[in-house]
Amino acid sequence: MIEVQNLAYTYADGTKAVNDVSMTFPEQGIFAVMGLSGSGKTTLLNCIARFLFPQQGEILLDGQDIQGMQEVDFRQQVGVVFQHLNLFPHMNVLENMMLALERVQGKTKAAAKAESLEMLERLNIAELAQSYPAQVSGGQAQRVAIARGLALKPKFMLLDEPTSALDAATTSDFAQWLRELQEFTSFIVVTHDLPFAEQTAGQGVFMENGLVQERGSLAEVLKNIDRCSRNKTGTG
Amino acid sequence: MHHARIIITLTLAFLTLAGLQPAAAEEEFVTALTGKFPPFSYYDNQGNLAGFDVDVSREIAQRINQKSQIIATEWDGILAGLLAEKYDAIIGSMAITPVRQQSVDFSTPYYHSGAQLFIHRDNPNKVYSISECNGLRIAVVLGETYQHFLEEKFPEVEVVTLKSGAEIFAMMEQKRITGFVTDRLVGAWQVKEAGRPFVPVGEMLYKERIGIPVRKDRPELLGQINQALAAMEDDGTMQGIHQRYFGLGKTSSSELGTMQPSVIAIKLLKGFAVSLGIAFAAILLGFVLAVPCGLLLTFRRGSLKPIHFMVRAFVDFIRGTPVLIQLLFVWLGLGLAPFPAAILTLGISAMAYMAEVIRAGLMSVDPGQDLGARALGLSPVDRFRFVVWPQAFRIAIPPLMNCVVSLIKDTALVSIISIPELIREAQSIISVTFEPGLYYLIAGLMFFAVTFPLMKFSDRVEQSIKAKGFSHD
Repeated sequence: MIEVQNLAYTYADGTKAVNDVSMTFPEQGIFAVMGLSGSGKTTLLNCIARFLFPQQGEILLDGQDIQGMQEVDFRQQVGVVFQHLNLFPHMNVLENMMLALERVQGKTKAAAKAESLEMLERLNIAELAQSYPAQVSGGQAQRVAIARGLALKPKFMLLDEPTSALDAATTSDFAQWLRELQEFTSFIVVTHDLPFAEQTAGQGVFMENGLVQERGSLAEVLKNIDRCSRNKTGTG
Repeated sequence: MHHARIIITLTLAFLTLAGLQPAAAEEEFVTALTGKFPPFSYYDNQGNLAGFDVDVSREIAQRINQKSQIIATEWDGILAGLLAEKYDAIIGSMAITPVRQQSVDFSTPYYHSGAQLFIHRDNPNKVYSISECNGLRIAVVLGETYQHFLEEKFPEVEVVTLKSGAEIFAMMEQKRITGFVTDRLVGAWQVKEAGRPFVPVGEMLYKERIGIPVRKDRPELLGQINQALAAMEDDGTMQGIHQRYFGLGKTSSSELGTMQPSVIAIKLLKGFAVSLGIAFAAILLGFVLAVPCGLLLTFRRGSLKPIHFMVRAFVDFIRGTPVLIQLLFVWLGLGLAPFPAAILTLGISAMAYMAEVIRAGLMSVDPGQDLGARALGLSPVDRFRFVVWPQAFRIAIPPLMNCVVSLIKDTALVSIISIPELIREAQSIISVTFEPGLYYLIAGLMFFAVTFPLMKFSDRVEQSIKAKGFSHD
């Protein structure tokens, strides 16, 4: 479980991106952090991924402050897939997956290879093993990046705007594929794509101006946003 | 890691080996000449040093009970080499002048000659003495006394300085110069041997006494040399050596003026092997140093900032100064032996250019790549080694190949510090065969045979980098 308590992050230029936010990410399922651009959701993700250090508040992973954790331990428990994926272009898909298994988890080459192939098999993308990142489609690349993260068997996977490079049809396929991965780990998906969140997540929050506006089950959150925007339209 | 260790070991081994070459051993009488001044010094048709000065050197060595070692070096740096203790004396037809006497002591003269003007037999400019040459182009070998003499006494003459007699002859044939001033004996001999249509005109410009310079701190050696010279004069040895080269019918054209093709081929190949050996060692040294320097150049902020600025300043300085000056500085200023000086200088020069290329390569790798590797838990060293560096290196291969090609070509400069590489060997062949066009062309083609495949390889790597979509810009 990840608990965010009274978190605030202010950039060097004075922009207050996250303002006293608290939330709990459950051990199971897909959790959506929704919001328009500038709402502070990616800043929140970067804090949880320990790429940014908040000025206020705490983030606890199973009760332990993540700031106090060893880098290698933390990275193996919390995986990140960036919006731009950051696959390594000079390595094929298999090598992309094997690198951390060998260098971080200290597995032998043979073991790393066997595990990676098994993971690709279970994710139904085994045919991509020998391909280079430049040779696969956007949807395939997204899956490869998630597979690379899952290879380390993290407790949580953070996905930053996973659908930004996908068209509607591919997004739908991807949503279905992602739902099937819930058995591996729990996902925290940061997205502005509400239909995609609706197709995948069980729970979520909606952020605006660095604050959590709505929280609860996805259906509830979406209903409230809808009413909220209607009210706004009505009053404004 | 394993490869890096082998490379470092090889480089160190090469530097150590090169460093072991003694500049001047205790038991040896080391003398210098150019090897490009027939009949005083030249390479015979077997490719061995021969000539009047060579015989005098060996005779003196024998008489002072030392082993003769003769170094062939460039005329324009020959005195600097003596002062830098690269050799004991110069027995290379050096005229005794007051200016030179300020820095070195000369032996008693071992022969007398003088400066003579030679012109083309056709005499297109209708000149019959140096005083009629105002505004005309007259050639001398760079660094010879004739240059200063002409500039001082005949300032209206346009003095053209060339590297050797062979170049002067080629310029004369093409009528790009009116005439040349050289030693009367040498000039007459060259014209005869090379069968060139040049003739001496006018009186000797001045007479010269030719002596043997030694450093001022070696008076005992000077005494020994003077004693040996006097004895050689007394017992007729000197006369015999003179007869061998200037006596009527003693010097046949079949012996001098030609070189067997096999000797020429061996000289060129050996020279080229030396060129490539120096290039290889310098490239290894340069690359090994360029990787950390290139990396430091990317740290413009943070705790390594001071080191960054030191590397930046050093790289800029090296790139902003001529390699030739660096080479002479390391050889004469720091006093390194020729091979270590050449490898160190070219290696550092290559480092400066390669470091820039590597810096650019590193900076063109998407920062997201490092972040992606960090998200997987890789250590900073692993992130660099497995993710950032392989991409930066591939991006840098084409410009690195340009550096390699430049460096291979720059080895031509090391002839100046008396290393017998390709250009120097070609010049020594030309000084005997008088065919500069042919042998410079061959030398050029030999370089091209190596650089062309490198350039093609670099093109192919560039194509494949584009295809794989490295580099985010």
